[in-house]
Amino acid sequence: MSFLRIENVGMRFGGLQALDDVSFEVAKGSVLGLIGPNGSGKTTMMNVISGVYKPSAGRVQFAGKTIADVRTHDVCKLGIARTFQIVKPFASLTVRENVAVGAMYGREGSKRSTQQSFERSQELLEIVGLARVGDKAASDLTIPDRKRLEVAKALALDPDVLLLDEVMAGLNATEVDEAIDLIRTVNARGVTLIIVEHLMKAIMSVSTSVVVLAEGKKIAEGLPHEVVASPEVIKAYLGTRFAERQMQLDEIKREVQLAREVEPGAHA
Amino acid sequence: MNLFFQILVNGILVGGIFAVVALGFSLVWGIMNIINLAHGSFLMLGAYIAYVLFANYHLDPFLSLPIAFVVMFLFGYLIQRYIINFVVRAPILTTFLLTFGLSLLLINAALLVFHGDIKGITTSYSGANFSLGPVTVPWSKLWTLVAALVITALMQLFLTGTKTGRAIRATSMDIGAAQLSGVRVAHLYAIVFGLGSGLAGAAGVLVSLSYSLQPSMGDPFLIKAFVVCVLGGLGSVQGALVGGILYGILEAFGSQYVGTGLQDAVALVVLLIVLIVRPTGIMGKATA
Amino acid sequence: MAKTSAVLRKVGMGGITGNRYAFYISCAILAVLLVVPSLHNGYLENLFRGVLMFATLSLGWNIIGGYTGYVSFGNVVFFGVGATVSSVLWQHYQQQNIVLAIVLAAIVAALMALILGFPILRLKGHYFGIATLGIALATQEIISNIDWLGGGSGFTIRQAGFFSEYYYAMWAICVISLVATWFIARSKFGYALVAIRENEEAAAILGVDATKYKVIAWMISAMMAAAAGSVFAFANGFIDPPTSFAVDNNVFPIVMAILGGVGTVAGPLVGAFVLTAINETLWSKFPQIHTLFFGAVIVLVVLFLPRGILWLLAVRGGFRGFINSLKAYRV
Repeated sequence: MSFLRIENVGMRFGGLQALDDVSFEVAKGSVLGLIGPNGSGKTTMMNVISGVYKPSAGRVQFAGKTIADVRTHDVCKLGIARTFQIVKPFASLTVRENVAVGAMYGREGSKRSTQQSFERSQELLEIVGLARVGDKAASDLTIPDRKRLEVAKALALDPDVLLLDEVMAGLNATEVDEAIDLIRTVNARGVTLIIVEHLMKAIMSVSTSVVVLAEGKKIAEGLPHEVVASPEVIKAYLGTRFAERQMQLDEIKREVQLAREVEPGAHA
Repeated sequence: MNLFFQILVNGILVGGIFAVVALGFSLVWGIMNIINLAHGSFLMLGAYIAYVLFANYHLDPFLSLPIAFVVMFLFGYLIQRYIINFVVRAPILTTFLLTFGLSLLLINAALLVFHGDIKGITTSYSGANFSLGPVTVPWSKLWTLVAALVITALMQLFLTGTKTGRAIRATSMDIGAAQLSGVRVAHLYAIVFGLGSGLAGAAGVLVSLSYSLQPSMGDPFLIKAFVVCVLGGLGSVQGALVGGILYGILEAFGSQYVGTGLQDAVALVVLLIVLIVRPTGIMGKATA
Repeated sequence: MAKTSAVLRKVGMGGITGNRYAFYISCAILAVLLVVPSLHNGYLENLFRGVLMFATLSLGWNIIGGYTGYVSFGNVVFFGVGATVSSVLWQHYQQQNIVLAIVLAAIVAALMALILGFPILRLKGHYFGIATLGIALATQEIISNIDWLGGGSGFTIRQAGFFSEYYYAMWAICVISLVATWFIARSKFGYALVAIRENEEAAAILGVDATKYKVIAWMISAMMAAAAGSVFAFANGFIDPPTSFAVDNNVFPIVMAILGGVGTVAGPLVGAFVLTAINETLWSKFPQIHTLFFGAVIVLVVLFLPRGILWLLAVRGGFRGFINSLKAYRV
């Protein structure tokens, strides 16, 4: 019984095929990077996994259930949580209250009283680094703090799987490092992560495996450094001519390398 | 069977008025997302303008149509520009209540000036009919329908043919982009609201030919405007026309078979059903 | 200057949980109101019974309109239904037991909200408002056409000897409504409602079953309105559809909630007092044109106090902050 399985998922919007027969598995405890050029279907995939969209074909299996069969407000009770690229805070509530709502209605919510939910919220604020702004209205936060709030709210649901949708967009270098640390901390607590990111540095340093989408299809899957070097991926991101030139360059490098190995030892 | 056709024709004839009422309402709602609860009282003011011109200057109501339109247009423009524009971006409750308060003001002002007694306009052709087969058609109602169609056609021409009209449609699609393109939104909004109230005033004139006048006469038409907008969809002239005529027919048959007392209830049930099943209306485009 | 605003913030909004001080002051005011019947002044008793009635209606509206953000423009339907229940109880069953009337009215209204809630609460924004208005108008017409319910002319209700009984009943309903709002505001349920108001989609993602909670909220507001209506019927001695479904009963509670502070605990009560005071003053000073002035009052309140008195007390930045906040709404 696999942990989280995406089976032949297809998604159509009218005439547009946003996802086309995508399949992969997510291992428990891993950090999966989902990458691909703009418009490749990454956010659509996130929406399908988190139950926001019902796929036109195929299904997502998790914890013995098909996600599409579950109602929106029950998805978090299964153990899947996500952040949104365009953050959705409860504007006039304080930061602490925002996270508390998740703690109240998430997976463990029914066991918590209001007071306990607030205590849990405070814990999470400290983990993500928002404790100092706990009493601020959510609408008054800076961009990096809003992203942290999204993550905190998702964590309040006590998820087994956390989907992060471009949490690092708009962050500067220091903030990116902080975000990477946060991801590692969360993963260390046993949460499986699926991350959509454009920032290669982040993906490379944090992912245990990578899936690459292009034009709705999966074109590569595997360990980060393998995937990133594969010609298909380079072609998808940078175009065919660049990929071919890159391959020619790699060929030349290999020949030079061979030549150098042969030379010192003098003749064949 | 003759009865059926008579009711059908009655419905179509009165539907023209509903279309004009709804068109003004729909413009303001569709373009500025404002539900103008004072729309009924604008209609009432238009009717009283026709009454005053008729009683004092013997001006035929059809001739006071353009006058009423212009007067109510200016009135609406000023109200939007200097009052409603303050809260255009506020939550809907604010504009709901603002226009409600406005309607209270206008109805009570009318009560003071014209008193609550019922007035009417009786022209030389008021009772005249002609026969179209088995159906009797009152002349004034026929001309009312013609006037209504002319007004709707003119409106459509304005919106699609003129620069201002296009600017209006652009603003409704994307206020930010419109502003960046140089559209003066405050002025434009005022024009739209002015058009809405002008249309209401014109409808009021048409109403005065067939119905009696009193300060509270406008409110039933407000509800009808709602229903027509929901039936026909927001922001489209064709929608208001189709919706208006459809509603006229519905109401005619409703009052025949369910009784006039319940005809509003029937209309509202229809409204609720349409809202639940197809909120964008029969012809409308999707709006917030 | 800074100190004053810090103090003012204390009696302000207090976030969703409702400000403690505002609540205690409200309770104190309500306690004082208990004294009114013993003054043996018919005018005052009617006046304050009216305040209590409108406060209850406003508190009820506040639950669905203020906290949940679903602006109902037809909550008067529950008031009217409650009043009709009372009149039917007397007319057909010779029942004058006020408690029975209140309970029955509340049950009928709750059922109505339950059945209508599922389809109607799926509508958003303007559409929901219009739909509720439509329901109110349709119900009024339907009742006007059913003779057993009183038809167009309604029923008279013989009042019990102990007239002040109705004052105390209205008082009790008001207190219950206020306390209920207080508890809701501090409970998980209250947070669910506010989450729905702020961002319904995000709330669902966080596990809030929006449909369920919206319907419950509407049921609660229906019960409050119906209870007030059922007492009103007895107190008034006569009920017909135009009286029980009067536009005033629909709009005043909303304006009061706005005036006092939408989405606060004490706001509706504050608004009920202030608006009644304004109304009475206008009525006595300008009997002919008091409705005209009242329309002007509504316009002014909406333009300059869109978030209400309690919020005004909590605003930061003093006068300039206040002006800035108004600018956010204009184009």
